[in-house]
Amino acid sequence: MILKAENSSKRYFRKTGGANYFLAVKPLNLALSGGEIAVLMGRSGSGKTTLLNMLSGLLLPTEGKVRLGETDLYSLNDKDLSRLRSERIGVVPQGRSAIDTLTVLENIILPAKLYGRTLPVENVRQWMEQLGIAHLRDARPAELSGGELRRMAIVRALAQSPDFLFADEPTGDLDDENTHLVLSAFREYAHAQKKAVFIVTHENDAFDYADVIYQMDAGKIVSTTSQAK
Amino acid sequence: MTKRRMFLRMITASLLRRRSRMLIALLSIGIGATILAGLVTIYVDVPRQMGAQFRSYGANMLLLPKEGETLNSKSLSEALEAVPKDALVGAAPYRYVRLDMTTRQQSFTAAGTDFSQIVKTSPYFSVDGAYPSETRQVLVGKEIADTIDVKVGSTMELTYQPVQHVSDKTPEESRVPGASLSGKAEGFGGGIVYVTAVLDEEAKIASVSIDASTQTPEYGGRVAEDEGFLNQLVGRSLPLTLGDGVDALTGATVTSSAVVDALNSAAETSAATRPRTQNFTVTGILTTGGEEEGYIFMSLRDMETMTDSDQLDVAELSVSANVEQLESYAAAMTENSRSVQARLVKRVARSEASVLEKLTALVFLVTLVVLLLTMICVSTTMMAVVSERRREIGLRKALGASDSSIRAEFLGEGLFLGLLGGVMGAILGFVFAQVVSVNVFGSSITFQPLLLPAAIIVSMAIAAASCLLPIKRAVAIDPAIVLKGE
Repeated sequence: MILKAENSSKRYFRKTGGANYFLAVKPLNLALSGGEIAVLMGRSGSGKTTLLNMLSGLLLPTEGKVRLGETDLYSLNDKDLSRLRSERIGVVPQGRSAIDTLTVLENIILPAKLYGRTLPVENVRQWMEQLGIAHLRDARPAELSGGELRRMAIVRALAQSPDFLFADEPTGDLDDENTHLVLSAFREYAHAQKKAVFIVTHENDAFDYADVIYQMDAGKIVSTTSQAK
Repeated sequence: MTKRRMFLRMITASLLRRRSRMLIALLSIGIGATILAGLVTIYVDVPRQMGAQFRSYGANMLLLPKEGETLNSKSLSEALEAVPKDALVGAAPYRYVRLDMTTRQQSFTAAGTDFSQIVKTSPYFSVDGAYPSETRQVLVGKEIADTIDVKVGSTMELTYQPVQHVSDKTPEESRVPGASLSGKAEGFGGGIVYVTAVLDEEAKIASVSIDASTQTPEYGGRVAEDEGFLNQLVGRSLPLTLGDGVDALTGATVTSSAVVDALNSAAETSAATRPRTQNFTVTGILTTGGEEEGYIFMSLRDMETMTDSDQLDVAELSVSANVEQLESYAAAMTENSRSVQARLVKRVARSEASVLEKLTALVFLVTLVVLLLTMICVSTTMMAVVSERRREIGLRKALGASDSSIRAEFLGEGLFLGLLGGVMGAILGFVFAQVVSVNVFGSSITFQPLLLPAAIIVSMAIAAASCLLPIKRAVAIDPAIVLKGE
């Protein structure tokens, strides 16, 4: 299964140097496929997150399409798109992303619960253990450190077993050890389970784990580098 | 954990987490529901409450005998069956007659009535002393009391003249053919003399016919034909005394005496002519500021004993109902009863209706304003909650939550608040209505069982309606923008 951006662009309303609009992402094509870990790099404001949001079904492109297989994501209604995203697309948002009223475990199983699905207990436990938060299952997000919260968000995405996993700066607030733990987990997920992982980062650490590296600048992908697996 | 449990968990967690905000929303719904439930209770109860209040202004319906029929206790109670028991405040029967106070050479209008009902139909009656509680007791109007100088404890000798002008009848009406009375007495030689007299409207003899066939025709037998003898009887009141204006027929003294005796005995035995005199004790002096001060009131029983009749002239009804109901009761009574017709005291009924209309309109208006204020308060609070939870809502959407699930969650919170507020409102509203009722109307109200579900449904509807705008806001949250980072 392939997720494709077809001439997708995003334009925001913004007074910029005499123009009324700001092209955050210029029309571009991109394909993500299972078994591959792709890393999107670039400076702040280069349009990385915008591209990630468009690909993950969260942000309607101004022009162009995003297709999952034959399905044009943005032609679906909210209900169908939400369900499809819940079942096939996982997102690790930038920054803090926990619902404070729920425990860590509840936060992790929440996406499945929204649609009444149950996650394999063993799978959840395994990811929690792998990322070192198994002991925090009954804790509240407020009691967690930034790194622990981040790993919780990552486990939440992994535990859903999405075909396409998008992570926006997943290692931003992690130390080296945890950064490698997380990136290893992503690579293992992509390779062992034949899923697509798309990471947006501006840290070079992700280099070593990537199959494909996209370099983005001013809304354009300026280079694509494939690395041997 | 099932999907539903997770949903409930999130709602309750969210409510608990924003305790102070939710408390404000809950309070506003609760207070709104309290005032609404209270006002609705009063609204429903006002006609009854005010009806009872208005009843202190006196009767609002009259029962009169139909043309050619008589009203009595039996036909009255039959007619009253058309009025619901709880609506009937009181029904006071009245029988008016003229009584003489011979010791004073004066006559007064006396009313026979049921004092236990008067207290209800005419609560404005002010009695110095007490209402009569036993027979041979009277309540005297202040005007009479002043005129003849009677006080509580005084004794009055009252006489009823059977055939007379009664107060409520014009002289024309009472000029009915006089009563006739018959008597017999032993005449000369043991023969019986039969006498029949017809009385005029003043209980005086109008004509006399005599059967003296047992008497010697040349002597006693002449009394039946002798015009001089017969004419001297006409215009006289009974009893007669031979030699005092009535002269015996010459040569027929025994027979003449028998005629007088027969007439006297007839008058004595005839209920129609015998004046009845009784002594009454004054138990109270009545002050009303109205014409009642010119009456003497006694129990119906005494009136029946005096007049030997259970006839009633009118019954005053105090009915707690609106004009439409009053009219329907009156129509039902008039239709169902053979002898009774009902009439509304329009002046009282109309003013009641107009006051009630204004009051219910006021309650309605206040209810509307409270409703609006509640909605504004809940809406504002929920709006703040949505603002606070923007990031969480965005996150939830990013994790796959659909707009409808966000909508359901906020609606769920709103409905939950509405439920709590409704229960609170129904209970406190009743207390509120009770307090208002006791303080303003001086009477308590009964709990309307329907109030609880009604208050809950209304407050849930208000809460849901108040959530519409906040929900719109929540659904419009763009996860991509909210989750851009911190």
